[in-house]
Amino acid sequence: MNGARIVTVAALAALLAACGQTRPAPGIQGDPERGRIALTQHACHSCHIVPGLAGSKVYVGRPLEDMADRRYIAGKVPNTQDNLVRWIMDPQAIDPGNAMPAMGVSERDAIDISAYLLSQ
Amino acid sequence: MLSNRARLIVKTVVLTLLGAGTIAAIIGLIVFRAGLYNIAANEQHYPLIYTVFEEGLQYSIQNHAEDIQVPALGAPAQLLRGAAVYRANCVQCHGAPGVAPQSQGMSMQPMPGPLADADVNWETRELYWITRNGIKMSGMPAWEYHLSDSDIWAVVAFVAAMPTMTPADYRRMTTQQGVTEQAQHAAQTATEGEDS
Repeated sequence: MNGARIVTVAALAALLAACGQTRPAPGIQGDPERGRIALTQHACHSCHIVPGLAGSKVYVGRPLEDMADRRYIAGKVPNTQDNLVRWIMDPQAIDPGNAMPAMGVSERDAIDISAYLLSQ
Repeated sequence: MLSNRARLIVKTVVLTLLGAGTIAAIIGLIVFRAGLYNIAANEQHYPLIYTVFEEGLQYSIQNHAEDIQVPALGAPAQLLRGAAVYRANCVQCHGAPGVAPQSQGMSMQPMPGPLADADVNWETRELYWITRNGIKMSGMPAWEYHLSDSDIWAVVAFVAAMPTMTPADYRRMTTQQGVTEQAQHAAQTATEGEDS
């Protein structure tokens, strides 16, 4: 009986956590919740599968669910938040000829988007 | 004749269904009339809802495009014509290899997908059907009354070839050089027509 109760409470807690807002990971700047919306307004999810967002199974860009664990961005620069912000704003500056275009993302939006991706 | 017991069961089932239906209708009416549903384009769907809509769309297109006969596609002149049509009408929302859509295409919902993977998702006849007829409530317009049938096939041929294009290929095919080549070809064809 007690065991079942613990499992239920744990399941409810997990459910609540899943519904709750994304908190920034330690050392990450920006507002991940704002980033989550900014990301949809710059069409990131048209080419990338984004964790926590409704979208198609699309593999034009790489899925973004494990951004915090990646070592490199486009195999070119170390995956720091600063570099990720640079990449989001102007991928061609880091990897000329890459099929990902600059989407006209402002610095503020890029910081918030990177905060969301790095807090998953 | 039903026994009393059977009659009671039938009566209970019917009344329960009617009651549940009425309550559901009242709740539905309240949600509808009070405007509780958020219609904003920057509010995303729940993943399950999105998936159901998307699968329904795919089944519908599979069904309606079933009988379309695809002509021979992919002649160089046709691809260049398709590139011009794409640049004039499609890239604004769908983007292209290395090219961002314009801002009005970026924040639509549903999001106009990239077409670099069109061959994974669609048969060629389905691309033709979608281009010609559009997709209701998605922002995808119907081109039937705005493009000639040969232009629709040309842009379908171009989109079908897009998965193998690099950003440089796309740029080459849609820039002045490609357009000039196409014009020359058209002029040549016209001259040949006069000669014969």
